Amino acid sequence: MLLPLMAAAVQSGTPILYATIGEILTEKSGVLNLGVEGIMMVGALAGFLVAHYTGSPLLGFLAGGLFGALFAGIHGLVCLAFQGNQVVSGLALTILGTNLATYLGTPHVGHAAPGFQTLLVPYLAEIPLLGPVFFKQDLLVYISYFMPFFAWVFLRYTRWGLGLRVVGENPEAGSAAGLWVPGYRWAGIFAGGFLGGLGGGYLSLAYTHLWTNGLSAGRGWIAVALVIFAFWRPGRAVLGAYLFGGVMAFQLRLQATGTNLPSSLLLMLPYGLTVLVLVFSSWRGRGTAAPAMLGVNMEPMD
Amino acid sequence: MLGINITKKQEPSLWGSCFLFVGAVVLSLGISALLLWMRGKSPLDGIVLLFKGAFGSPGALEDSLVKAIPIFLCSLGVAVTFRLQIWNIGAEGQFALGAVGATWVALQFPTLPAALMLPGMVLVAMFAGGIWGLIPAVLRNWAQANEIIVTLMFNYLGILFLEYLVYGPWKDPVSFGFPMTKEFSQSAVVGMIGHTRINWGVLLCLFFGLAVWIFLRYSRLGFELKASGENVKAARYAGLPYERLVILVMIFSGATAGCAGFLEASANLNRLQPSIMVGYGYTAIVVAWLARLNPLYIGIASYLLAGLKVGVENIQLELQVPAAFGGLMEGLFLLTVLAGAFFTKYKISFRRKT
Amino acid sequence: MRKMILFLVFLLAFSMGSAGAAEKEMKVGFIYVSPIGDAGWSYAHEQARLALEAMPGVKTSYVEAVPEGADSERVMLNMARKGYDIIFATSFGYMDSMLKVAKQFPKIVFMHCSGFKRAKNMGTYFGRMYQARYLSGLVAGSMTKSKILGYVAAFPIPEVIRGINAFALGAQAVNPDVQVRVVWTKTWYDPATEKEAAKSLLDVGADVITQHQDSPGAQEAAEERGAYSIGYNSDMSKFAPKAHLTAAIWNWVPLYKKLVQEVRAGTWKSQALWPGLSEGIVGLAPFGTMVPEKVRAMVLAKKKAISAGKARVFSGPIKDQKGKVRIAAGSSASDGELLGMTWFVKGVIGTTE
Repeated sequence: MLLPLMAAAVQSGTPILYATIGEILTEKSGVLNLGVEGIMMVGALAGFLVAHYTGSPLLGFLAGGLFGALFAGIHGLVCLAFQGNQVVSGLALTILGTNLATYLGTPHVGHAAPGFQTLLVPYLAEIPLLGPVFFKQDLLVYISYFMPFFAWVFLRYTRWGLGLRVVGENPEAGSAAGLWVPGYRWAGIFAGGFLGGLGGGYLSLAYTHLWTNGLSAGRGWIAVALVIFAFWRPGRAVLGAYLFGGVMAFQLRLQATGTNLPSSLLLMLPYGLTVLVLVFSSWRGRGTAAPAMLGVNMEPMD
Repeated sequence: MLGINITKKQEPSLWGSCFLFVGAVVLSLGISALLLWMRGKSPLDGIVLLFKGAFGSPGALEDSLVKAIPIFLCSLGVAVTFRLQIWNIGAEGQFALGAVGATWVALQFPTLPAALMLPGMVLVAMFAGGIWGLIPAVLRNWAQANEIIVTLMFNYLGILFLEYLVYGPWKDPVSFGFPMTKEFSQSAVVGMIGHTRINWGVLLCLFFGLAVWIFLRYSRLGFELKASGENVKAARYAGLPYERLVILVMIFSGATAGCAGFLEASANLNRLQPSIMVGYGYTAIVVAWLARLNPLYIGIASYLLAGLKVGVENIQLELQVPAAFGGLMEGLFLLTVLAGAFFTKYKISFRRKT
Repeated sequence: MRKMILFLVFLLAFSMGSAGAAEKEMKVGFIYVSPIGDAGWSYAHEQARLALEAMPGVKTSYVEAVPEGADSERVMLNMARKGYDIIFATSFGYMDSMLKVAKQFPKIVFMHCSGFKRAKNMGTYFGRMYQARYLSGLVAGSMTKSKILGYVAAFPIPEVIRGINAFALGAQAVNPDVQVRVVWTKTWYDPATEKEAAKSLLDVGADVITQHQDSPGAQEAAEERGAYSIGYNSDMSKFAPKAHLTAAIWNWVPLYKKLVQEVRAGTWKSQALWPGLSEGIVGLAPFGTMVPEKVRAMVLAKKKAISAGKARVFSGPIKDQKGKVRIAAGSSASDGELLGMTWFVKGVIGTTE
C-alpha cells in the first residue's frame, strides 16, 4: 500500500517539481512570477498539440517548454520593460494563460496525443523498495531527477549562477560591478517559464495522454508556495514536490480503502498542508532566505 | 546615435490615465478579435455582440448591474488591501464564508421576521468573511507567511468547506439528494427593486462605497493612506503601526466579500449551493488594480467587467465561442493596463548621444 | 377588372395559406453546465443538438459552462427575449431559474433535464442511465477475477449514486461476493485526478474500473495496468483498446427530435419524461473483443427483458450498506425513490458525502 502511494507521489509531484525549480531560478534573480499556473497550462497545450501533430512526444515536451518560456516573456516585458507591478502581472498572466489554454484547446478536448510510457530502468528497477518507486517511471520523471542537481550546481558553482544571485540580492551592486541586471532577470524569467512549460507538458504527455480544460488544477500555485518551503534551494524543492504529490494522491487512496470521511474534507489536505508548511518555513526562516530584492523592479536608468 | 531618456514623472497625469485605460481596452479588444479570427469567427461580429450583450438593451444593462453588485463589494475590500501592498487574493474564499455565515442564520432561525433576519444574516456573513481575512493577516504578521499563498489556499479551503456543508449536514431533505441547502424562507430573501431583477443589495454597495469615500476624505487615517506614495510599509498611519493596519484592512476586505456572498445566496439563489462560486473574488482583483482606491472608479470598473461577463454569454450564444473567452479578455486587459501604466509614470524623450 | 381583383385575392389567400401550411422554423436553445468539449455529459447533449440542427427548419444554438443561479436565469432570459421556441436546460441546478423564466414567457416551451419542478410550459426529462449501468455491471461481474470493482465517481448526487448502485446490483447478479469501491474526485473533468483515482482503486485490487466522469482518464489507467474498464457517456474504446469492455452511453437524439416535432405540431404537453433502454435513450457501447460470447448473450438477453418491461433493475429485496432493507422483497423502487437515492447498496464500499 505504501509503495504504490510513494510511486504515485513521485509521479504526481514531478510536474510540480519542474515548475518549482523554474520558479526558484526566476525568484533568485529577483523577479516574482505568480503566473506559473498560466505558464503550465500554456506549456501543457503547446506540448499536447505539437505531439499530436508531429507524432513525437519528445518534440512536444520541448515545445511545451519553449512556449512556456515565450509566455513568461510577457511577464518580463510587462515588469522589466514597462515597470509593471510584478505581483499583479503574474496574476494577470495566470488568468490569461489558463483561459487562453482553455479557449485554444477546446476543439481538442478528449483527443489523445502520443505520450510517454513507463520506462523501466534495467537493473535499478529491481532494487527492493526504491526500485518500484523511483525506477518504474517514465522518461520525463527520470529527467526531473537530474534537474535539481543541475540547478544547484549552476547556482552555487558557476559564474552565471553567482551573477543571477547577485542580481536578486543587490542589483545596484551587481550593476556597479558590470553585470547587466536586466539580462540576468530575463534569463531567470525565461528559465522559469521553460521549466514551468515542461511541467505542463508532463501533465498532458505523460501523466495523462489527453487534453482537457483545467489540467493543472492549482499545481502552479503549489509550486509558488513550495519555493518558499524550499527556502529557495533546489534540493529541498524535491522533498516538497514529492510531499505534495503524495498528499494529492493520498486522499484518493484513502477513499479507495473505504474511509467514511467526507471527501470534501479530505480534499482540503493539500491546501491545508501548504498553509502549515508555509507558515512553518516562513516563521523559521524569518524570510531571510528570500532574495532581498524579490519583487522589486529596478528603476530604469539613463 | 539615438539614446532614450527615461525619467520618472512627479505625478501620473489624469489625462494620461484615461488615455491609458482606453488604450488598454482597445488593445485588448484587438487581440481578442484576433483570437476570434483564429478560431474562424468573425471578429467584428464578435465585438459588436459583446457590446450589445453587455449594454445594448435595457435588459442587458440591468443584467450587468446585477452582476456588478458582488464584484463591487469584493473589489472595494480588495482595493483597500492593495493600497497597503497586501495582496489579498482571498476574496473568493471570504465570499464563500460569508455565504456560509448568512446561510447558517437562515437555516438556524427560519422563523425570524425579515427585520431581524436580514440584518442578522448580514452581520454573521461579515463576521465569517472577516475571520477568513483575519487569519491570513495574523499569519502574515506573526510568521511572515506570504499572504498571496495563504489567501489563495484559503480560497480552496473555504470553497471545500462550503461543499462539505452542502453535501453533508446542510443538505436539503427534499431536493432529491442534490447538494444544496433548504430553500430560504421568504424573510431571508433580499427582494428585487420593483419589477427589475436588481436586488436591494445595491443599497449595500452604496453604503460601503460611501463609507469608504468618507473615510478616505475625512479621516486622518484615510487621508494619510490616500496621500502616501508607493512605499507604504515604512510609515505609521494615524499613529497605528503597519501590522495593526494589516489586520484591520483584511478584516474589512473579508467582511465586504462576505457581504457579497450573503447577497448572492439570499437574493439570487435563495439557498446555498456550490454553484454560488463563479469567480467574483478573482475579478475583484482585476477591478481593484484598475480602479485603485476610488470608490467611484471601482463602481465603474465593476460595472464594465460585469458587462464583459454578460456580453461574453451573448457571443457564446450567437457565435458558439467558448466560455473561457471572457476570462481571456480580463487577463489581456489587466496586462495591457499594467504595461501601459509605464507611459503615464515615466516620461520618454530621445536625445542624441555624442 | 373584377376578374383581376378576384384573381389577386385568390393569389393572396393562396400564398397566405401556403405560408401557414409551410413548416414553421423552430429556434431551439441549449444551456450546458460544462464545456461541451469534455467528451462527457454536455458533449452527449451537444451531439443531439447537432442532429437537430440537421433537421429542416430547425435552428439551434447553445451557451456552455453556465453556472447555476443568476447566470443561468440571465442566459435563459436572453434566449427567451430573442424568441426561441424551445429551451433545454441540461442540469439539475437550473431548475429554479428556469421556473422563474418560464412564468414570464408562457408561449415558450421550457424543458429541464434531471429536475422535478414543472409548469404548464415547462416539462422535465431524463434518461434511465441506471439501466445501462446495470447491464455494464453484468459485464463487469462476469469478467472480474479479483471480485473487486472500482468506480471513479465525480459528485455524490443521486444520479451518480443510482448508477453506482445499479452497477453493483448487476455485478452481484452474476457474482454475489463482488465488491464495488468508490472514489470521489469532486470534479466532472480532470483526467489527471481521475487517472490517479483509478490507480488508487487498481492498487487496492480492483481489476475492472468504471467511471461517472467526463474524461477517459480512468480508462487510460486501466489500460496501462492491464486491467479492464467500462466507459461512460460515449464509447471510450479508442482510449483503452485492450481494456475497454463496453460503455454506458447516452443517446439524446430520438428524445430531442420527438420533442421538437411535438412542439412544432402543437401537441406538446408538460410531462415528467423518463425514457430508458426501450426508447434508445441509453444503451451499451459495442463489446470489446475480450468479452466472451456467453457473457454477451446473457447481457443482451437481459437488455431485451428490461426494454420490454419484464425485468426491473431495482427490484427487492435490496439492503443498504448497513444491512437495512430499503426495497422490500417482491416490490421495486418507485421513480421517486430512484430520483432521490442517497444511499449505497450492500457491497458498495465508500461514503455518499
